[in-house]
Amino acid sequence: MIARWHDLNQMLGAMDLFRNQMNSVFNDFDRTYTTGPGWSDAGTYPRTNLSDTGDNLEMLAELPGIAKEDLNVKIQGNYLEISGTRKSDLPEGYQVHRTERGAASFSRSFTLPCDVNAAQVTATLKDGILKLTLPKAETAKPRQISIN
Amino acid sequence: MSESTELVTRKEQAGELVHQLPIATPAVDIFENEGEILLHADMPGVMKDDVAINIDNGKMNLSGIRRLQLAGALTRREFTDAAEYRRTFSVPQSIDVNKVHAELKDGVLCLHLPKSEAAKPRQIEIQAE
Repeated sequence: MIARWHDLNQMLGAMDLFRNQMNSVFNDFDRTYTTGPGWSDAGTYPRTNLSDTGDNLEMLAELPGIAKEDLNVKIQGNYLEISGTRKSDLPEGYQVHRTERGAASFSRSFTLPCDVNAAQVTATLKDGILKLTLPKAETAKPRQISIN
Repeated sequence: MSESTELVTRKEQAGELVHQLPIATPAVDIFENEGEILLHADMPGVMKDDVAINIDNGKMNLSGIRRLQLAGALTRREFTDAAEYRRTFSVPQSIDVNKVHAELKDGVLCLHLPKSEAAKPRQIEIQAE
């Protein structure tokens, strides 16, 4: 009987080993899938960086080849939406070999970490980079508290 | 023969730091007509002076450096501010390297690669006797 328990344990041990191996296979798969070039932000357009400078939030968005007339930025409270259309710059009379830069309309919305003062937001588009400076609402600004 | 014990300190040159930047691959469109091959590459944030195009031995190296910096504490990052866009293409021998020209507008590089005269299609006229 004891010998049989031993066999069973050994078998279960082997199954555990196998399960761990399988788990790491999927971990490796996920890693290459999420960090490899081109995959990391597939489907996320435009890509953005957001930073907090204390009084302001600053956002950079990659929008190459988009005219400022074709871009809309909407803000309400802590909700921000960037939308627009990227027009095709396909030249006439050319044969197409490769198209990686699709032309399409896009829309992306964000929930900002705090409310912003929508009236004082500034947006600049330069060299295909949209820079948004979003001043925080008074209630969201950091405040120095004096200790009595 | 005297052996010099003096050490020479070598200062880092401007061009060397560049290679520490993360590499990004630009998305490209490639078109062709009778006269030229046209390439459009997305390089948002790259300035005109930071683009380098090298054609050598049938290979074209495209490089563009983006020097962006976002102030403050970064709360979300989806792309690296400072990066080098780099991509290599094979170029047919029929390209007239001396006439290659490019323009950069709104973060998109338009590269014109004109074909040399010998490679252009030519209509041959048949002469009557």
